Amino acid sequence: MSVDERRLGELVEESEDLQSDALRNARPALDETVDLAHERGRHDLDESRRFAHESRGLISRGVMGGGALAAAGFGGALLTLMARPAFADQSMDVQMLQTAASIENLAVATYTAALGLPFASSLPKVVQTFVTTTRQQHTDHAKAFNAAVTQLGGKAQDQPDPVLLDVVNKAKPGLTGPGPLVDLAIQLETGAAETYVADVGAYSDTNARKLTASIMGVEAQHVAVLNAVKALLSAGHPEWITLPPPVAQLPAAAGSVGFPDTFIKTDQARPASEGAVK
Amino acid sequence: MSAPHHNDPIQISEGELTAMTAELEERHQESLPKMRAALDEWAELRNGLRAGVDGLTSAAATRRGFLLGAGIALGGVALAACGGSSGSSKKKSGGTTRSTVAGGASQKLTGDLAVVALAAALENTAVATYQAGIDAATAGKLGTVPPAVVTFAQTAQTQHKAHADAWNAALAQAGKAKVTGVDLTVKNGVVDPAFAKVTDVAGLATLALQLENVAAATYLSGIGAISDPGGIKTAASIQPVEMQHAAILNFVLGQYPAPDTFAKTDGARTTTDQIG
Repeated sequence: MSVDERRLGELVEESEDLQSDALRNARPALDETVDLAHERGRHDLDESRRFAHESRGLISRGVMGGGALAAAGFGGALLTLMARPAFADQSMDVQMLQTAASIENLAVATYTAALGLPFASSLPKVVQTFVTTTRQQHTDHAKAFNAAVTQLGGKAQDQPDPVLLDVVNKAKPGLTGPGPLVDLAIQLETGAAETYVADVGAYSDTNARKLTASIMGVEAQHVAVLNAVKALLSAGHPEWITLPPPVAQLPAAAGSVGFPDTFIKTDQARPASEGAVK
Repeated sequence: MSAPHHNDPIQISEGELTAMTAELEERHQESLPKMRAALDEWAELRNGLRAGVDGLTSAAATRRGFLLGAGIALGGVALAACGGSSGSSKKKSGGTTRSTVAGGASQKLTGDLAVVALAAALENTAVATYQAGIDAATAGKLGTVPPAVVTFAQTAQTQHKAHADAWNAALAQAGKAKVTGVDLTVKNGVVDPAFAKVTDVAGLATLALQLENVAAATYLSGIGAISDPGGIKTAASIQPVEMQHAAILNFVLGQYPAPDTFAKTDGARTTTDQIG
């Protein structure tokens, strides 16, 4: 393994500094949310219903399906999380934010569980760092979404998205090595990114939109990294998963595998109310 | 950019490469219908858009003047400060402003359409910069260029072309001229001086990262500023792609690929930029 541990440590520290900076940048948007809360009455309910209807249609086509994997627990972190049905009387913005928080909660729990898998310690160091850092980013995303929820008068969501939780539970028996784990992470991150892209086009609250927009690209970056990792694992070269990678040795296709979509799609977006608080 | 040498090590089979490339093309094609749907929304709304521009100004005023506010603070040369996302800039976020911009040879655009023209110009700038990089590599000015870098540059350039096409389709549907020029403020202030110093792949990747970060920041700023639903959806479908480009470039440069917990608007371009 050609990982430069010291450099990796520096990068993690640098990343933490950036996260602190980013959190400070997110707060003004949340403050403005309070001012805009009174504008919720202007919300176009027809548009919201149309959005919800479209999202339900996506689900009916079976996106994010977990296949035929048997349902099973995924460690204590997930078993403690319970699904709750949507609260239909809340504003669509609040429901979307709660669903976003529920997706983040599930991501945090999943990455936490991943670190406890038997093969976790044998993952490339860069991947281990990615899991730890990404878990923290999702933790911060959940806090930000819940802060926006409460500032709009809603109840914070501390539970996971129930449908995605089922996907994760069904995937658990197959998580016997890095490949399936990366596939599951790609599925969750893609679902998050696409949900937020869809939500950004549906919010009536400008600051909820801005907050979500500031997160969707980060989830897309997670997808890009995971796709690159998957390609290198599939090529049988986990030793190339270093920072930086041995660029000269990489196959040509590795140069584009991280960003397969010219425009981010929304066919894996979660319905607006799926993770809303009861 | 030069084609991969035959003696370069390719560690996966040609069949796998072909399959991966075919899958990429398929996904590219799959993403286009969604884009067309968003553009159709633009067409449906274009009449209202013209009438709505005046209303946008008053609506913006109810939002603490955000839309007309912070963006101007970031002038042309501020782009340089936003360069590598590994930096820990403390600058305030920018915003995409609603002033007039030259969208074509002679047209003046305002409101959402000015932002659209800016987006098209930035995409054109990215396309031109990648092309300059490819040309330099082909001429042997960047030393040995790894095959993966070739693929990255070609694919990213293709995607930026598609993004520019999307924005120009929106302009065309609104009865405006397409933007075929680049963001001259960025080109003259940043790209040209930086490119003159590029001597290797790492230097080119650093410049590309700078442009990708600027594009992503501008889209993020624009999402908070524009009002047209079709425009918001289009920007939302593109911004994460630019951030993915940045992630891979960070990775190649040995920097953490997803350094920001929340995407920033630092370095976002404004509609005061000169286009031509």
